[in-house]
Amino acid sequence: MLVAIAGNPNTGKSTIFNELTGAHQHIGNWPGVTVEKKEGEMSFEGERIRVVDLPGTYSLTAYSLEERIARNFIIEEKPDVIIDVIDSSNLERNLYLLTELMELSDRIVVALNMFDEAKRKYKIDVNKMSQLLGIPVIPTVATRGFGISDLQKVIVKGEFKIKKFEYPSDVEERIKKIENEIEEMGLKNARWHAIKLIENDVDVISKFRNEKKILHLAEHMRHEIEDIYGGDIETLMTSFRYSFAHGLFHEVAERINVGGVTITDMIDYVVAHKIFGIPIFLAVMYLAFNFVFLVAAPFQDIIDFAFNGKDVAGGHINGLIDISYMWMSSFLPQWASSLINYGILRGLAAVLTFTPIIMLLFLVLSILEDSGYLARVAFLMDRITRKMGLEGRGIIPLMLGFGCNVPAVMATRALKNEKERKLSMALNPLVPCGARIQVFAFITSIFFTNNQALVLWSLLILSMIVVFVMGFIYSRTIFKGEGEPFVMELPPYRVPTLKGITVHMWEKSEGFLRKAGTIIVGAATIIWFLAALPWGVKYGSPQSYIGQIAFLIAPAGKYLGLTPQAIIALIFGFFAKEVVIDVLFVLYGTKGAIAIAMTPLQAYSFLLFILFYTPCVATLATIYEEAKSLKFVTFVVLEGLLLAIVFSFAAYTIGLALGVGT
Amino acid sequence: MKLSDLKAGETGVVKNVLGSGAIHTRLLSMGILPGAVIRVVRTSPLGDPVIYEIRGFFISLRKKEAEYVEVDKIVPLHLVPPGSDVHVVLVDGGVGFIRNLNSMGISIGKKIKVVERCCPMRIRTDLGEFTIGMGMAYRIYVR
Repeated sequence: MLVAIAGNPNTGKSTIFNELTGAHQHIGNWPGVTVEKKEGEMSFEGERIRVVDLPGTYSLTAYSLEERIARNFIIEEKPDVIIDVIDSSNLERNLYLLTELMELSDRIVVALNMFDEAKRKYKIDVNKMSQLLGIPVIPTVATRGFGISDLQKVIVKGEFKIKKFEYPSDVEERIKKIENEIEEMGLKNARWHAIKLIENDVDVISKFRNEKKILHLAEHMRHEIEDIYGGDIETLMTSFRYSFAHGLFHEVAERINVGGVTITDMIDYVVAHKIFGIPIFLAVMYLAFNFVFLVAAPFQDIIDFAFNGKDVAGGHINGLIDISYMWMSSFLPQWASSLINYGILRGLAAVLTFTPIIMLLFLVLSILEDSGYLARVAFLMDRITRKMGLEGRGIIPLMLGFGCNVPAVMATRALKNEKERKLSMALNPLVPCGARIQVFAFITSIFFTNNQALVLWSLLILSMIVVFVMGFIYSRTIFKGEGEPFVMELPPYRVPTLKGITVHMWEKSEGFLRKAGTIIVGAATIIWFLAALPWGVKYGSPQSYIGQIAFLIAPAGKYLGLTPQAIIALIFGFFAKEVVIDVLFVLYGTKGAIAIAMTPLQAYSFLLFILFYTPCVATLATIYEEAKSLKFVTFVVLEGLLLAIVFSFAAYTIGLALGVGT
Repeated sequence: MKLSDLKAGETGVVKNVLGSGAIHTRLLSMGILPGAVIRVVRTSPLGDPVIYEIRGFFISLRKKEAEYVEVDKIVPLHLVPPGSDVHVVLVDGGVGFIRNLNSMGISIGKKIKVVERCCPMRIRTDLGEFTIGMGMAYRIYVR
């Protein structure tokens, strides 16, 4: 048995899905796109039922990716039951989707979710609604698990005697004519196809492109309806469906109070204020960041120290990896022990050190999203981010990028538009993450002791300008959108539930650990091989493969002012940016030696290179997991390298010509 | 006039939704249809986008999108100053509500006079003088 969950966005669809399936779920993407697909399994009295969560949509037209995914799934996979999750506190508009679903399926269960919230606005006659529609209607409060068992029961045992809503008789007649023709073809969902043909639905029209007779009939019918009622067909057909939704709404719901100032109004008055809105947003982000890094830092330090140990004055405190290496070396060949510990185990440690920050960032992000604040951010920032081709929510991943690009890339899911998501992912690595800023702080402290802050500022400002300019260019070229409208609902503010937040946080972190984690450990192993081979060389030394590669490209590096040692550091930096510091230390020995190995100009060129070049493997692995496209990952890698080369080369050449910092 | 011409706090009734393709269908499926009442709630810091209230929920539209929506400006009865004569253009409610108003002589196209605004509101219609609650006045739109 197959059950599909449909519904508007912000109705608690995911919560219903989670409540139905419990832990038995799988999160992936719909084929070929970055839209999330959730699948799970529930069992009822021994029967195993497959449950698929469809993308949240307001209707089922052919003009948006989510809507096409949802309706194609219903047509092709023919779910046995569709659950329509409805936000009962916003009944009329939510019932509109039901009118569209009713044209595709007879077996629909209505889940009147957020029923508690609705009770403050209307009195809803659930039984009457069920009678009028001829299908089960179940009030639920998914966040508290209320109504879920009833829902499960009617999925299997419910009675479905659906009373389809009808268009005005002169429209019905015409639908019937086309429907008869389609039925003769032996096609399923004849009525739905007939309606969509009349409505001039681009997908269905192209499906019938070889059926000239039917197309012609549909066009004829369309013009007749337009003549009778006056207006364009889309407006007319939508109006017919809405008037059903409107009528049903007034039949089953009685408003308790009308007008008056709601809590949402009051919060919005402050938070979405013309003048205070943006400062409040910046303050919220500042607090959120401080919270995340304040709490995450000690955990990261502990994990890092436990695995990697610590360099202290005059020596090194061994971490678990060092200890395990020494222990394994007693019974394994030295190379094998080194591979296991300094390759694989070190990769694993890197994954683990990312985990606290990812969990915390998603904790904060879930609170912002579930409370409804994220929609207000989109409203406030839209005018600014639009220049970069992103809707207002696009600001969030960019800001998160300053902390860590990994959760930032994952946060691009907040963007609903496929093109904007990819654009946002392409821009994100250009935002310097905390690890890169750490490297900047270290290098500037050696070379720019007098104006360290100024140099750091110049890098940050430059990155912001580049992000903005690249966004501007991309959104008008490779990531040019089809002008999808930005019609966004602003849900009422809600108190996020602990369960909702933790589930979301766990989903994200688990996904990162399992999927991206594997890629990171793999990359760590490859880097180990490059640094340890050929046999017998010192790990990561100029004689190793990494060293040889560095010396091979060194002649080219000269134009950018990069020393071979700097190039080795950069290659290791691909694994994790903060490693650049360690490698420079290993290769040069002391801080003083680093200071004389490069001129300040070379150091600045090096900094510019680090600012833009290829993001770390964890970020790339995450981008791959989100976009599921190697081509796109390659694009991100090349974009970074190219920008790094251009900026380093320009800075170094101009610096040399002007004789600055040489 | 265009929806984008309405100022914060003003209300309009949708006359027509222009455009084609994605924008057109999206606006329609959000319930922005001829006859629907739409209110401007607030504008963003840079004047665009704008939050609107329609059918009891809030949406944000960019100026470009709001330009596709043609509206007539209307005023909810509770905002009409006492002493004014107005025409009823729209009543937002179910059958019972409409029947109730009809019995007082309030229906679309009828002229009514606001005698006293608050509270409760007193109005004069063809059928005489009536008292109505603010909750009702809120759902009667006039021009």
